[in-house]
Amino acid sequence: MSEEIIMPDFFGDFGGRYVGETLRPALDNLVKEFQTAWADPTFHEELRRVQKTWVGRPTPLLYAESSTEALGGARIYIKMEGLAHTGAHKINNAIGQALLAKRMGKRRIIAETGAGQHGLATAAACAKLGIECRVYMGSVDVARQRPHVFAMEMMGAEVVPVDSGARTLKDAINAALREWAATFPDTHYLIGSALGPAPFPELARRFQEIVGHETREQMNEADEEIYAMIACVGGGSNSIGFFAPFIDLPKPRLIGVEAGGRGTGPGENAVRMTGGVSRLGIAHGYKTRFLMDDDGQIRETHSISAGLDYPGIGPQLAALGESGRIEFTSATDEETLEALKFFARHEGVMFALESAHAGAIAMKLAPTLKRDQAIVINMSGRGDKDLFITAKALDRTRWMDFLQSEVQS
Amino acid sequence: MSGVELMAHMVAGYPGMGMSMTVAQALVAGGADYLEVQFPFSDPSSDGPVIERACQAAIEGGFRVDDGFAFMEALSRDFTVPLFIMTYGSLVFARGVAKFCDDAVKSGVRGLIIPDLPPDFSEGLFDEGRKRGLAIVPVIAPEITDERLKMIGDMKPEYIYTALRLGITGSDTSLDEAAMRYLDKVRKTGSKIIGGFGVRSREMMTALEGHADIAAVGSHFLKILDQTGDPAKLTAAAMELKGIA
Repeated sequence: MSEEIIMPDFFGDFGGRYVGETLRPALDNLVKEFQTAWADPTFHEELRRVQKTWVGRPTPLLYAESSTEALGGARIYIKMEGLAHTGAHKINNAIGQALLAKRMGKRRIIAETGAGQHGLATAAACAKLGIECRVYMGSVDVARQRPHVFAMEMMGAEVVPVDSGARTLKDAINAALREWAATFPDTHYLIGSALGPAPFPELARRFQEIVGHETREQMNEADEEIYAMIACVGGGSNSIGFFAPFIDLPKPRLIGVEAGGRGTGPGENAVRMTGGVSRLGIAHGYKTRFLMDDDGQIRETHSISAGLDYPGIGPQLAALGESGRIEFTSATDEETLEALKFFARHEGVMFALESAHAGAIAMKLAPTLKRDQAIVINMSGRGDKDLFITAKALDRTRWMDFLQSEVQS
Repeated sequence: MSGVELMAHMVAGYPGMGMSMTVAQALVAGGADYLEVQFPFSDPSSDGPVIERACQAAIEGGFRVDDGFAFMEALSRDFTVPLFIMTYGSLVFARGVAKFCDDAVKSGVRGLIIPDLPPDFSEGLFDEGRKRGLAIVPVIAPEITDERLKMIGDMKPEYIYTALRLGITGSDTSLDEAAMRYLDKVRKTGSKIIGGFGVRSREMMTALEGHADIAAVGSHFLKILDQTGDPAKLTAAAMELKGIA
């Protein structure tokens, strides 16, 4: 793995480094530092050690036997990435970049977070490595994700509410970029997905590829040939990591699932690759397909899962979607909740709402295939974090009673 | 003309499309030598909170890029000061770089300031500008490497806009010796130097004399406008910066 690597600015037409000159030295320097670190065997040794002892790698691959029986088609496997420390794949990128930041001599790390999953992973990585941590979070998200804010603060991170724009994830990204333009000499910006200006998409993919490599190995051990792999796509770090070892091969089918939300109109979903409300644009430092109006203003997005509720898509995924290597589809909020219930009932596994989008598409695909075909779903996160959303959606009365009794106690 | 010229910044459509004209009039009456009109973008990542809030309000008020160009056309009919559009790459790219430049020229605009389209990721903006005699103003910052500064200087831009410190618009800036040395280095490119980010007093304008040609002032005016709600106050503010008693 210790090799000289090329860090591309673009993936096809997508990507780039569309940032003001204020951020340029920070990004240019990051490219060099990452190349040096990646060529250094001791960096990989340290990364492997912490992946094993702290992240909990490798995460298991589950043969979903009763789901397979119930759906009556292809054999279904679930990559249990949600069993990683802090509950999702986010930790792979967070600890990888935090180790890099430490190596670069950075004293502080800043991050953006939407639902709080990446903020939590970053706070944990910083606590582990003794790095000061600040997390920018839209004030709307701060209000609705109290448990994550609590956990981040317990790990010593400072959570800064962002009151501008729509006060959600995209505004937290802007706030972090703004701060970084002034603080980069001693601060690393740990962006949470495979997006933003180069080299961030490349960094996130490199640190997430382990998910795909493990899956390939585990399927080999199970003596299975993979027919299709399915992952949800928000910014895209779980899917690009899961797909990465296969993107230059003709097989298996790679299926990316976007958030279909509650409808196909503007503001009702977060579908960038197949719907009619997105366009090629430039924002947040990179060029990709964004949910944007004709003037280039970013639109509001909606998804039941906060982690998919973002207007852009990682540039490499956009390129692979355009080339046809990755097939894109979407699952609605409703289909997602059905998938959540299905896998909980049949496997005793509660998917994160993000990952349940992939589960929903697997439920549609599996019955159309034969029993000798195998598909793998990436359960990028586990679902306990979503209790306040799923319980409210699926068991409203009793959940509200519980919340009220908690308030009164 | 002695001293440092004043480039007064304002946000098109703020506070309201009609009021924008009043704001421009007040700034020109106060002696602004240039007008820098920002077309609001939903995600202005180089701007501080003051400008960002104004941009958001303008978009919520219904600002469209077509309105922006109509406004520039009206300004060029009423005033002789050179007009610049400042905005982000998203708006330029969405309209089409060539069409954006065409519309700028047609509406009497002298130049474009697009901080997130640097020369090596400009989508052809610098070429399209050159073809039309439209000044495309590179935006740089003190941490720029000598190599990149040379690359930009070699393009022989008519103007270079430089931040006077790291970070975003509108926060505190001190003009120390290091800042002056940096400006002198940039000035060797032979371009007209616009210094911005945090300029807010006559004292700072004077300190820039001999080191920069133009001082860009933005958040300072917006703060006054937000605090008083009275565009007429901008005339006095501009006069004070210009040192006109």
